[in-house]
Order: sequence, then C-alpha cells, then structure tokens
Amino acid sequence: MYEVFEHTADLGLRVRASKLNDLFSESAHGLFSMIVANLDAVRGVTKRKVSLPADDYDLLLFDWLSELLYTFETEHLVFSQFNVDINNEGLEAICRGESLEPERHLTDHEVKAITYHGLKVEHINSGWLAEVIVDI
Amino acid sequence: MPTEMFSGPLERVSDCCWRIPRSYKTGMRVDGLIYADDNLIQQIRGDQALEQVANVAFLPGIQHASLAMPDIHWGYGFCIGGVCATDPEEEGVISPGGVGYDINCGVRLVRSNVFFEDVKRRLQDLVEELFQQVPAGVGRDGKYHFNKKELRQLLRDGTEFLQRRGLATDGDLDYTEARGRIDGAEPQNVSDRALERGSKQCGTLGSGNHFLEVQVVDAVFDETAARAMGLKRNMVCVMIHSGSRGLGYQVCDDALKTLRKAPEKYGIQLPDRQLACAPINSPEGQHYIGAMRAAANYAWCNRQLLMWQARESFAKIFGRNWQDLQMNLVYDVAHNIAKFEEHSTGGKQRRVWVHRKGATRAFPADHPETPDRYAQIGQPVLIPGDMGRASWVLVGRPGSMDHTFGTACHGAGRRMSRTAAVRHAKGRRIDQELAGRGVIAKARSWKGLAEEQPDAYKDVNLVVDVVHRADLARKVARMRPIGVIKG
Repeated sequence: MYEVFEHTADLGLRVRASKLNDLFSESAHGLFSMIVANLDAVRGVTKRKVSLPADDYDLLLFDWLSELLYTFETEHLVFSQFNVDINNEGLEAICRGESLEPERHLTDHEVKAITYHGLKVEHINSGWLAEVIVDI
Repeated sequence: MPTEMFSGPLERVSDCCWRIPRSYKTGMRVDGLIYADDNLIQQIRGDQALEQVANVAFLPGIQHASLAMPDIHWGYGFCIGGVCATDPEEEGVISPGGVGYDINCGVRLVRSNVFFEDVKRRLQDLVEELFQQVPAGVGRDGKYHFNKKELRQLLRDGTEFLQRRGLATDGDLDYTEARGRIDGAEPQNVSDRALERGSKQCGTLGSGNHFLEVQVVDAVFDETAARAMGLKRNMVCVMIHSGSRGLGYQVCDDALKTLRKAPEKYGIQLPDRQLACAPINSPEGQHYIGAMRAAANYAWCNRQLLMWQARESFAKIFGRNWQDLQMNLVYDVAHNIAKFEEHSTGGKQRRVWVHRKGATRAFPADHPETPDRYAQIGQPVLIPGDMGRASWVLVGRPGSMDHTFGTACHGAGRRMSRTAAVRHAKGRRIDQELAGRGVIAKARSWKGLAEEQPDAYKDVNLVVDVVHRADLARKVARMRPIGVIKG
C-alpha cells in the first residue's frame, strides 16, 4: 500500500507492507504511478530483470528506484508488475511492463531523481514502512 | 514527514533581512541570513526551509553566512533559494546538494521586433506551433540526437559545439553566461548512464516548473537598462526555463552515491545526509566539479536548442526568418550552479566556490564577466514568476557583491505543495481560467498545469521587491505571459 505525501516542491512516497519484498514492489508501483497516471493500462508484455548487491535497506530502496527510473528514462519502459526477492546477496527482481505510448498512457510527472532526504526503511510492529522523496 | 513551523531564533537585521544566529545549533560555523520582508518571512517560517539554512552553516569552509533569498522554500538538504560560499584555502567543501539535481537549471530571454498588437490574432496558432515543435513532458525525446563521442565534445565545448553545427551564432554566445561554456569541464567524469540519459534530451523542456513562455514587456522601470537590452513596452519575447535534463540529474545522483562515505572519510559532521560533500581539493570533490561543469555546458546547449526551435516556430507562423524577426538573445543565466569566483569577504579578496541553489547570479555594472553591452547597467537577472502573473527582468547591483556573493533570487517560490495545489484545482479548468486572464496555456498533463497554477506560488512581485529594496538587483522590466508551453 502506498500514498503520495506533501513536500513543498516535490513529492513523497510513503509505503507500508507486511513483507520487505512487498515493500519494495509497492514502492516501485508508487514510483511509476507518479510517472503514468493510469498505470492500470500498462500491460505486462516486456520483462526485465534487475539485480542489485546487498546494502542497508534504505540505500537498497534508493538504488532499486533509481535503477527503474534509469530504465524508464533511457528505454521509455513503464513497469507495473514487480516480483522482488531480497536476500543476503542483495535484490533480484522481475519487472513487467511495456513501452510508453502517449496515446494510451497518461503521462504525469517527470521524476528527476530519487533523493536521500528523509529516506527511510523501518521495521515497525509486524510490518515495514518506507518513505522516500523524489525530485520533480 | 510532517510539515512543522520553524521555531528557532530569528532576529531582525533590517526591514528585509533576518538572522539565525550561529548559537542556534552547535556545529553552525556562521549565521544564517535570510532576505525577506515581514510578510514573506511569515510564509517562509511555515516549513523547514529555515532549519535547512541553519544546517548549511555546518559546511566546512563556509564564508560570511548561510544565505537565503526571499523565494526560499523547503528543499532536500539545502533549501531552494540558498547561497553558500566555501573557501578551498580553509578546507572548504563542494556539495552537489548545493547545486541540485538539475545542474545549471536556468533562464533565457529572447526579444523580437514583434509587438503585442501584431501577435494577438496569431497567438493561438503560435502557441500550437510551439507546442508541436518544442518537445515537453515525460518520456519525449528531442529531435537532436548525439552519440557518445559527440556528447563528450558538447560537454567540453558547450554552446561552441552547437555553433560549429550552425545551431548558435556569435550573438548567442555573447549573451550567455560564461559564453555557454565553463572551462574545466571533464566529460570523462560523466558516467555512461548520464550520457545515455542525455543523448536524446538536448533541446527538450522536461516538466515540473520548466516552461517556454511567450511574454510581452508589460512595464518598464529602468529605461536606460531596458534600452541596453533592446526591450520596449509591448514587445513580444520568449522566456525559457529548463536545465541539464536527465544528464545533469544523473551526474548529481552519481556524485551523491560516491559521496555517501565521504563525510566519514574526511571527518565532516553533517546534520542531514543530503548535504553530502567533499573537500574541494579532494579527488571526490575534483571529480564532481569536472562533471558538474560538463553538465552545466549541456544545460546551456539545451536552452540554446530550445531557443532555436522557438525561433523556427516564430519564423513559420510569421513567414519571416528569425533574423528578420530580430529574435536575439537578451541573456541566459543559471540559477542552480556552483562557480569559482572572486569575492571580498572577511576583510580580504578570495576565490570561493559559490553554490547557488535556486539563486541567480547578479553581478553589478563594470564586473568583468558582464558582456560589454551591459557593462554600464549590470548583468541581466531573469526571474521567472508563475504563468498567470508576471516574470521579471532585473540587473545586478553592487549590494549583491557586498552581501550575497553577487546573487539575487530566482523565482516566486512555491506557496503550496504539489499535492495541495492539485486539491486546490479540483473541479477547475486551469487552462480556461488562464485564458480568461489572456494567457493561452498548453500542457501535456492536467496535473502538471494544476500543480503549477498561479495560486501555488508566492507573488513574484513581492519577492522582487525585496531584492530591489535590499539593492541586490534593480527592477528593469515586468513581463506578462501570454502563451505558455509546459510538460
């Protein structure tokens, strides 16, 4: 579950999930929901694998979202489905989506970058909470 | 993250300057100084921007004060609208956060010999044509593509690279800050990722607060300066606000990653991770400086190509080439950049790294870096406002050299967050409202227009009043938007 929260000139993403893997896939979903307003219209016809080395969870989240943003920027691929596996080695993910088509996809924000400002991944009660602010 | 009022100490220095004393937090090396009047300071207190002004005062080698302009608002690490000068001789640091992701985001103004009366009936066609020709918004490539070898040349040579290809003139170079090319750019310090992000984006607007506007000179406040710039009342101009696109964002991102461990390595205590920095004379610091300069050169090329496309659109609509339309560049100036400049501070002349994060260079008359044509009046300072009210043309004043390392404000500054602006726009047609005010606005995204609506910004006129009264820059002309292109 994710929500967009306020930060004067930019946007924040607050994500909650019971499992860490879901926290990361929900965060990715949240990121792409800022870029394409009708993410439901994105079909899972193209598959991409992402592998990242282990790091602190907050930095791993940063690297994960940055990786997706880079793929979007250079290849115009929009993802809407994420299968994430985080273990001691790092992060492995399968992302599904398709090429951006302005006729079908309502483009929204250009996310310039993921920031470290207020970045956090926390284990709370029986679940996980992440917050990240993106530069618009 | 909750938005809380700033509750720290704030002392009045003058009717448009306030101080956060260095005693506020252990670790502050200098005071914070904020240029604002009574009205603006109340708005500024509303979030954590002033806390960020105090945090910047922690940076090693900082001179005089951690400075903030009247348009400051909450950023990440540094506030937007902040100025910080560091001395390499005093273990000063360079901080990518003090420049921002959009390296050399800036503004350029182009004049013409077309007047409002001539354009009124053609305005709809003109705005449509600009909207078709100027790539804007998410995921839109430009029409100029460069391979890696060409990009490296562009990063090194800046606007000169475009001139060799017939996409820039001598006049364009003369009226661009640093002639559109900072020396010391190191293209090899720019990662492959950054090059890939930049390969098809030169000459694209982007989204967010970036824009291309058709404006008219609405009022002239300084006839002499306006004449030097070739501006007359009711003249149609084009203002362009954009930066270094994905290439610059990636350069910043790469640098912040490299610097994750630098504060620890160099024993620098920081109150916020986003202030990551390295000593200017360290390998990490030098690497960033070379890459940042390269990205700055890219940004000047980006605005040059945006202007070129605007010239082509005008030529098509008016059936005359741009030279006939006298679409000459008035000036181009950065507002997100760090530059090595000479300033007098602490009783001596020194070369300092001036970080301007959402702040515009405002050199006074007779400064060696001001083009000859403007030597008598000072460097043009271009202040974009919101798309309903106004933008401003100012000139730098001696007060800027005395107080703010040759710097003035950079815009109106946000009053509402993006989410609040969207709520505020619910059920409204911003484009129709703007049309009622005589502005034709075209945007790729409804939300984009909602987030950028005039109400989301402070009144730029109030911001400009403060820098005028503080003698940082002087009013020359107020510009009124009539056509807006947004992402």
